[in-house]
Amino acid sequence: MKRLVEQGSDWGISFGDMVWRRFVKSPLNVVCLVFIAILLLVAVLAPVLANDKPYVIRIAGRLRFPLFAGLQRGDYCVFLAGFVGLWQLIQLGRNSRRLEPFVRGDVLWRQLSINSVIILFGCMLVFVFIRPSLDGTDYKALVASGEAGNAIFTPVPYDYRQTDIQSRQQPPSREHWLGTDDVGADVLSRLIHGSRISLSVGFVAVGISTIIGVVVGAFLGYFGGKVDFIGMRLVEMVMAIPMFFLIITMLAFFPRNLFGIMVIIGVTSWTGNARLVRAEFLKLRRQDFVQAALSLGLPLRNILFRHILPNGITPVLVNATFSISGAIFIEAALSFLGFGAGPATPSWGQMLSLGVSTTGRFLWWLTLFPGLAIFLTVLAYNVLGQGLRDALDPRLEKRV
Amino acid sequence: MKTYIIRRLLLIVPTLFGITVIVFLISRIAPGGPTNLSLGGSGQVDAKWTADVADSRRMLYGLDKPIHVQYADWLGHVLRLDFGYSIKHHRPVIELIKERLPVTLILNLMAFIIIYSVSLPAGVLMAVQHGRLFDRAGSLILMMLWSLPVMWVGQMLIGYFTGPAFKDWFPPAGLSSSYADQLPFFAWLVDSLWHLALPVLCLSYGGFAYLANQVRSGMLDNLRMDYVRTARAKGLPERVVILRHVFRNSIIPLITITSTLLPAMFAGSVIVERIFSIPGMGLLAFEAVSNRDYNVIMAVATIAGVLNSIGLLLADIAYAIADPRISFEVTV
Repeated sequence: MKRLVEQGSDWGISFGDMVWRRFVKSPLNVVCLVFIAILLLVAVLAPVLANDKPYVIRIAGRLRFPLFAGLQRGDYCVFLAGFVGLWQLIQLGRNSRRLEPFVRGDVLWRQLSINSVIILFGCMLVFVFIRPSLDGTDYKALVASGEAGNAIFTPVPYDYRQTDIQSRQQPPSREHWLGTDDVGADVLSRLIHGSRISLSVGFVAVGISTIIGVVVGAFLGYFGGKVDFIGMRLVEMVMAIPMFFLIITMLAFFPRNLFGIMVIIGVTSWTGNARLVRAEFLKLRRQDFVQAALSLGLPLRNILFRHILPNGITPVLVNATFSISGAIFIEAALSFLGFGAGPATPSWGQMLSLGVSTTGRFLWWLTLFPGLAIFLTVLAYNVLGQGLRDALDPRLEKRV
Repeated sequence: MKTYIIRRLLLIVPTLFGITVIVFLISRIAPGGPTNLSLGGSGQVDAKWTADVADSRRMLYGLDKPIHVQYADWLGHVLRLDFGYSIKHHRPVIELIKERLPVTLILNLMAFIIIYSVSLPAGVLMAVQHGRLFDRAGSLILMMLWSLPVMWVGQMLIGYFTGPAFKDWFPPAGLSSSYADQLPFFAWLVDSLWHLALPVLCLSYGGFAYLANQVRSGMLDNLRMDYVRTARAKGLPERVVILRHVFRNSIIPLITITSTLLPAMFAGSVIVERIFSIPGMGLLAFEAVSNRDYNVIMAVATIAGVLNSIGLLLADIAYAIADPRISFEVTV
């Protein structure tokens, strides 16, 4: 004990703190974390950043707020979910600073369930009280003709669906900072709205694959024996089919939409998680605290997911971070191949596929910018995963 | 070890069975089907007549039988390599695959060789230089290479190196020039390699980044071992320590990495073959999904699954042979 106090600053701080300290030691990790935070912010606030309606406009002497009046129900739900998600993260950060297990299952589940109820209830309120708005006024024309007085537009004053055949396939200019696509829609606006798709694909697909993988892995690892043997053969079977082929096979038979793609990526990529969780459970199931929980007569559900799982969750966390980048990549690849949700959805992969026009002309701005967006996002998640893995790895600490 | 190999060989049977079941189930669970393809909800048709037509059509396609009988029928055909006809090409699917498969295999084999031959020395060098500039910059570059989306790289290469935009160095599409038949052998080879350069580059950089990183961390793990200290204490030259002792021990786990590389390369070939218009399995799969050419898609998925599991089997057996420490007893 004395030796430990002398030796290190690590005594007396929580595991969460320790991991965090190791994580922020590398500036690259911090840069990537900040990048993802900004990306999340952009995704949540997309309609406030890129919209054809102004924040404020003076029409006939009266101030109006068309952008806020024109927000759709979905936008409010996204704002709410973003806010609650941020709150959840803060809570998680606070909890992990206590001298307790890294993730306290009961606390986490309670917070998660409270927050999901808040989101669900809030969305219901939104659907009751917010009317869908159908404001088709062209405010820019109003300003140009002098009918309206001064107006403050968003930084990117174009809607992502707004087509303009006159200015199609334009390279970057002062009007369109990143150019326009094949129907004249603003590339930057579509990129901003596309961040919503990429990020939600990442979270939803990985959420599904983590849940399936954890449940399957927990049962296989806990019961072991024949269950494990047969289960692992099944897992190997699913693994034997190359995931991408499995996904495009499904896409050939099932109707294509964004949510479907998320679900398909999720249900085909759980095998890695299952193997990780199984290995952890095989290690942990013989430990004393599991025996104690058993002798207390706790139900199996509690033993598996409240007692064992929090102790073996870290490999899943690391894997989830890498899987997010994988899911974003797969969605982009599918959209690029034209198996995505269709041209109306501003997916980064779909935008990238427009980079070579039907006449074979190479449009560099439609290749460079969407590709860069995919690359940076995938890179940030990969760096984050690597940083998390190093921070969680006790072997590395010894070396330092 | 012999028992392990036999057991592993036996396990491939249920695996292949499972793959076919999964592919078959996907095709059968899917909404729609041949019966309601032509009997939409439009128009006022006598209900009994509609039902009769649907029934006869189900009989025609064997859909009135229980699902396991349908599966057995399908599997019987698959075992005889009879995947039915392609709707788009009006030819037996197996003929198409016979044409396309070698192209993809050659492409992936070249990429595979490049991946292993470049990443082994790169990873070793980085591990030896651990902590220095070469290692740090190298790690960052590997991470970036690993994150580069292949469709972006492919399209940028096509845009900038095959056309008027920047340099006209490489052909934009296809496997060979139109006049390739008349070329003498050597010129033909050069022509082919010239066409394959960009696609193979696209297929290999991701795997290279992944593998080199694994080599590096495997080397680092082994460099910390006691036997390395012993070897150095014996006074062995550093070259021998690294190449004879550490390297040999750290390449064994690399065999299993094939199991991660293979599926990724399958996925890569769909994208790369689409971008560079190379008539391989990937392009076949792409066209089949675009045209909903069901027989082709089922055949491609089945064959990809079979090839992949054969690859995994070979990797596992190679691992068992290479590493005598591992007994592979089933842990029950």
